[in-house]
Amino acid sequence: MNENEIQLKVQALVDGELTGREAEALQQRINDDAKLQHLHAKLTQMRGLIADSELPRPLPESRDFYWNKIAETIEHEKRAGERAAPPTPASRWLLRWLAPVAGVSALVLLLTLQQPTAPDLGITLNSDHELEMSDDEIDVMTYNSDDDSMSIVWLDYSMDIQRDYMELWLD
Amino acid sequence: MPSLPDYSTAEEPQLVNWAKGGDLQSFEELVSRYRDRAYARAFSIMRNEDLAVDLSQNAWVKAWQRLAQFHGEASFPTWLNRIVTNLCLDELRRRKRARMDSIEEIEEATGPVENRMEIQEVDPMERLNREELRERIDAAMAKLSDNHRTVLVLYEYEQIEYKHIAEKMGTSIGTVMSRLFYARKKMAALLGETLKRDGLIE
Repeated sequence: MNENEIQLKVQALVDGELTGREAEALQQRINDDAKLQHLHAKLTQMRGLIADSELPRPLPESRDFYWNKIAETIEHEKRAGERAAPPTPASRWLLRWLAPVAGVSALVLLLTLQQPTAPDLGITLNSDHELEMSDDEIDVMTYNSDDDSMSIVWLDYSMDIQRDYMELWLD
Repeated sequence: MPSLPDYSTAEEPQLVNWAKGGDLQSFEELVSRYRDRAYARAFSIMRNEDLAVDLSQNAWVKAWQRLAQFHGEASFPTWLNRIVTNLCLDELRRRKRARMDSIEEIEEATGPVENRMEIQEVDPMERLNREELRERIDAAMAKLSDNHRTVLVLYEYEQIEYKHIAEKMGTSIGTVMSRLFYARKKMAALLGETLKRDGLIE
């Protein structure tokens, strides 16, 4: 420990911030060192002087003037809080659950409406829109096996139809 | 019809309970009882009348808003003064951001100046009564930098441990110890000067 560190340790001892072996070891060192004894005595003296030395200080304002500003601020912040009040528990519950439920319901409704007609590729909607399938709208995956002399072709047009229906529906 | 409570004679815990229930008049009575203490604490840290008035008023508003968090572990004025202190620390941080470090802080950081300082031989208790001594201590406190005065107030008046002071001031325990040591040395030196000037010591 350098000189500065030992001074801070002595102060910590005076302030009761050291305990146990650390405090005992430092106390022993102080007992053997006149300079540290002097520092310890002066720090103890300063601590005793400053503690409890805060001057009582009367407010420079009248009681009413001081209180009125506090009361006005409390009232102002209360009103501001009411204006920007967070949702009540009931409305919070609604916001938390109603929005996702409404979204899911709309999606389910949409899918339900289009599912029965999806397999018919020449679907006519109740307006004058007509969906026409072309090859590039169909996802095609082919599996060929010479060993088995077999070819399997998957045609997946359901997502395209749904997407197109959604666009038409939104139009 | 129930009669209005007699606020002026009510005990502090009763006033706090009424205030927690939204009774602003009981809170006004608490303000009346402890406003000087709140102001004095703010002044001890800020050393500016207007700021101390404003910050102590803000502390009362915060206290009203946070009354539900007061459970009586400490006394009401102790709890209130902690709010005052925290607001003062916030204000000091705001001000510090807008100005350069003081010469004292630069000296503190460089170390050798601090290490060369010797604690003055001061034994003022023998020559002054308590009130005179408090006034001199108060005047000496006013001459410290914000950081050194604040750490003294937190340690000596608020009786907060090093580690909690470090948390409040957003610094390390080592810095708190260093500031406290420097502040006490400076106080000893300032008190020595004033006593010498007054002819109380040679």
